Amino acid sequence: MEPLLAAAALVFDPYVLWVIVASAVFGIFVGAMPGLTATMATALLVPITFFMPPVPALGAIVTATAMAIFAGDIPAAMLRIPGTPASAAYTEESYAMSKKGELDLNLGVNLVFSVLGGLIGVLILIVATPALAEVAISFSSFEYFWLCLLGLTCAVFIATDDPLKGIISLLFGLAINTIGIDPAAGYPRFTFGSVELLQGISFIPAMIGMFAISEVLRGVVALDQNAVPIQQKVGNIFRGVVGVMRRYWINFLRGSGIGVLIGALPGAGADIAAWISYAVSKRFSKEPEKFGTGHIEGIVDATSANNSALGGAWIPALVFGIPGDSITAIVIGVLYMKGMNPGPTVFLQNPQFIYAVFIIFILANILMLPIGWAAIKSAKLLLRVPRNVLLPVILMFCVVGAYAMTNSFYGIALMLVMGLIAWLMEEHGFPIAPAILGLVLGEMLEQNFMTSMIKADGSFVAFFQRPIAATLGVITIVLCAGMLWRNRPALVTR
Amino acid sequence: MRANDAISGFVLIVLAAAMLALTLSFPEFRGQNYGPALFPRILGVGLIVCGALLMRRGFAARRAGARWVELAPWTHDPWRVSSFLLVIAMLLLYVLAADTVGFIPIALIFLGGLFLWLGVRPLPAIVTAIAATIAIHWFFGSLLRVPLPRGWLTTIL
Repeated sequence: MEPLLAAAALVFDPYVLWVIVASAVFGIFVGAMPGLTATMATALLVPITFFMPPVPALGAIVTATAMAIFAGDIPAAMLRIPGTPASAAYTEESYAMSKKGELDLNLGVNLVFSVLGGLIGVLILIVATPALAEVAISFSSFEYFWLCLLGLTCAVFIATDDPLKGIISLLFGLAINTIGIDPAAGYPRFTFGSVELLQGISFIPAMIGMFAISEVLRGVVALDQNAVPIQQKVGNIFRGVVGVMRRYWINFLRGSGIGVLIGALPGAGADIAAWISYAVSKRFSKEPEKFGTGHIEGIVDATSANNSALGGAWIPALVFGIPGDSITAIVIGVLYMKGMNPGPTVFLQNPQFIYAVFIIFILANILMLPIGWAAIKSAKLLLRVPRNVLLPVILMFCVVGAYAMTNSFYGIALMLVMGLIAWLMEEHGFPIAPAILGLVLGEMLEQNFMTSMIKADGSFVAFFQRPIAATLGVITIVLCAGMLWRNRPALVTR
Repeated sequence: MRANDAISGFVLIVLAAAMLALTLSFPEFRGQNYGPALFPRILGVGLIVCGALLMRRGFAARRAGARWVELAPWTHDPWRVSSFLLVIAMLLLYVLAADTVGFIPIALIFLGGLFLWLGVRPLPAIVTAIAATIAIHWFFGSLLRVPLPRGWLTTIL
């Protein structure tokens, strides 16, 4: 109880509340802009949150991402362009509804079920994390090694449709991570005499490059291919939502559940949650023939799922330090910067921060109702911001942000290089998420691997001697082998 | 722009081989069987195997009639190609010149140049560039106290 009160005192502070409202508006804007993603919102926020105490810093990220995932639904309905990839699964469906004259109902359902789905996500987060942390407290390097490996396996096989390129992307991320002082012996690797590379690749500038610079590069070559918003007045968006709730409450619960689960799997986030829950909805629907013609059912599932996935992704991030999606990958970087090393001990040492995150999560989802409504009402104005003004400003923002993280031009140069690499990777069909995960988890994986190897003196049996380690190890190996076997044609040809 | 998988695979193998070669100079520690070279070596070998698989896939695609390099439609439009290069050039310019010139002049050039090139009309471009520069300088420089380069304006600011 005491940490809960301390957490409430931390959150209900005028400065923190101000930060939350400001990042809500920022998140809505970024999410509603096609091409700007929730992950990019996080990457752009980090240089600013760097200068804040932990609670407002985390609050800004939680709020902005929740808003961005919802706001992505607005251009999907109005322009037939998803604002973030998380809305892509039901963009066609939403637009078909708008064409049928059901724009109001669509936006209302998207808003209300985003809020409710988000709340379910938080609820499960609140229940699951302390329980998991109890288990995780007894983990040794063997368990963490397997857990990292399991997470990375999930990231490669579940989150990508081309496993070979997923593995390469992952290995690339891990390889980049070996630059700098090695975690076991303290020997500088691949630094080529550079002082800046000694502490390794600076994570946030690399992230800004991979998520923002590559997006700007894609944006400038696709300029003036803008769509025109549909000419339909937005009326009372809440009319009919209760009826939808009564009719499709099972879809809502199922979608939210799938969302949390997918969100908690490393590497797969809101976008994949939406795709899968939409497919599940169609599969179990009584009227699957209506899907694709502007039918609300699948939207209920998917729009709940992508918001609940956000909460789900925080579960492994807080308990194990293993990110559930690319947003929490950045969050883990922020946690380390704030001296709150994620893991079960944070629940003992700083429980008030964890509770504060929970409270902010709930607050952000409730706040989504009025701010989302305002965003829908002013959507036409919002969608008219010219891209040729927006992109250079974002670029300038990235430059200053990357510079602020290192206080040197190294940050900007690193951002540019990583941005170009990410752009090239996407052009060639290599998924980015596994590389990010490799970059985040590389040190943890190597450190636990080396510690385990030294403890076990090279005997692989030791990796299976503790019960939980053995279970995790067997799951990892079976999953890995099974996936390799299933994908064996895709590994060779394609 | 999309190169055939065989080319990507080849590049990967070369990079991974270079990485492996570099690990040869890493020290061994007496009484310690596993040194700093172990993990990068595992990764290097993994990358080479994957690179080889990728090359095999690329050659199969090539036999099926795929080209070595596939150019995206935008690469045929000189304006779009220049926009792409201009973004990179502006970033490089910032890295190279910001220290001597200072943040405010370089941000004006950076933003104004990109606005004008991307088709914003001159007056709004200049006004927005000035406003955005002032806003970013105020936000990062004054509020967050990031030591933005001062350059020529050292004596004034």
